[in-house]
Amino acid sequence: MRPVVVAGVGMIPFERRDEDSLMDMLATAGLNAMDDAGIGDRPIGSVYVGNMASGLFNHQVSVASALVDRLSLLPAAADRVENGPASGGSAIKNGFLAVASGFNDVVLVVGGEKMREVIGPKATDIVACMTHPQVEYIYGVTLPAMAGMFARLYMEKYGITREHLSMVAVKNQANGLLNPYAHIQMKITMEGILEHPQAHINSPVVADPIHLYDCCPVSDGAAAVLLTTEEIANKLKKPLVMIDGVGQATDTHTLQERSDPTDLKAVTLASEQAFKMAGIKPKDIDVAELHDAFTILEIAESEHAGFFPKGEGAKALERGETQIGGKLPINPSGGLKARGHPVGATGVAQVVELVWQLRGEAGDRQVKNAANGFSLNFGGFGNNVLAFVLRRKS
Amino acid sequence: MKTITAYKCNKCGLVMYPYHDRCLNCKGRDFKEITPTSKGRLLTYTVIEQLPWGMDERGRVLGVVEFDNGVKALGLIKEDAPRIGMKVKVSWEPVREMGGEKIYGLTFEKTK
Repeated sequence: MRPVVVAGVGMIPFERRDEDSLMDMLATAGLNAMDDAGIGDRPIGSVYVGNMASGLFNHQVSVASALVDRLSLLPAAADRVENGPASGGSAIKNGFLAVASGFNDVVLVVGGEKMREVIGPKATDIVACMTHPQVEYIYGVTLPAMAGMFARLYMEKYGITREHLSMVAVKNQANGLLNPYAHIQMKITMEGILEHPQAHINSPVVADPIHLYDCCPVSDGAAAVLLTTEEIANKLKKPLVMIDGVGQATDTHTLQERSDPTDLKAVTLASEQAFKMAGIKPKDIDVAELHDAFTILEIAESEHAGFFPKGEGAKALERGETQIGGKLPINPSGGLKARGHPVGATGVAQVVELVWQLRGEAGDRQVKNAANGFSLNFGGFGNNVLAFVLRRKS
Repeated sequence: MKTITAYKCNKCGLVMYPYHDRCLNCKGRDFKEITPTSKGRLLTYTVIEQLPWGMDERGRVLGVVEFDNGVKALGLIKEDAPRIGMKVKVSWEPVREMGGEKIYGLTFEKTK
């Protein structure tokens, strides 16, 4: 396989974007990545679009064909990649394989979702379509409910408290304030979401023990990366950031069929695969973007990915190790919690953040001297997970 | 009583629900259809305050139960203060309306 370089990255701010169609968002993010790379009018061989549910949210399908038309990239190959909340990560994996295999020299990967076109409960329903139709969906299960059932067991097993969950929320929303692309631009405090006698009014129960401030917002947004070979990237203007490791693993569709439902096996396996391919270890990572759709997941993933032993993730959080400036900053972008989670965009936005961090372009949230980055994109409720290891080429 | 159908692998004995075309353990393709025993134990639960579109209620309790014969399934818990390990008995009742039609599923009630 040939080495693969992320030569360009682009995003649009995640927020409620009533003025933009899904296609407007995908096109702008895509152009931003192309311009960031300085690719000019060079041909792009393939376009991969990560998107979960444009048919349900926006009454539009075949969005990859529409995007190459908008961007005048014809006759580039174009595919939409759907893999639930890991659609963005899967799209990047496909783009990576196209360049690594020699099938294409230049590939554009765009992830995007426009979720606020429908009302909140409808969005909850559309997202719940990823659950098992006969044995889960009919009961009214939601993704926060899956997180609630998981959190109850995980918290009991490892002594994690609601205080720990709230610490993730406070940290990530503080980071989000440093990220102009983040949806939620609001400082919160432990007092406001947990300790004050009326904190339950600010942060009501969504699916016990998951509260409002344990959940990511519902967002519109898009993000893009331009992937190419070292040979071409050397002719472009940006410092080289390599995708050194890619991993992906799956687990049972339903939570109840896992012999230990607190064990996120697919996270462990995908991470191990990515680290093995990159030839480095979790301790070599300087910055990580994890899939904190719910606060409990940041803690659980930090352990399953190998950064901390099981039960130690919350302690590292307590000690401030996962803050910007700590030993291993997690989600300096604000994570899904603050940046937002336009489902198909997330896996791409995580890689965009890593590239900014590794290039030293992350502004006020810059992690000093970051050379190796890791991202984890968590699909379903842990049934399809992607992991990436990125490296700044010195 | 109507209930769910679970599957026990004829080769290795693994109990599965829902259906898989090959055994999750040994890849076997022959299964015996089994039904959950009438009683089980609550493994985990949640109380959902924000339900999907089409469900106008709050405080819906869902949880996963392991039945005495090893079947594990999600269902609706008819108990306001559940706890992990609680013994439940199972019924088959409407759990939701979709398109004006009653959808039946598993419901759990506390028992001794």
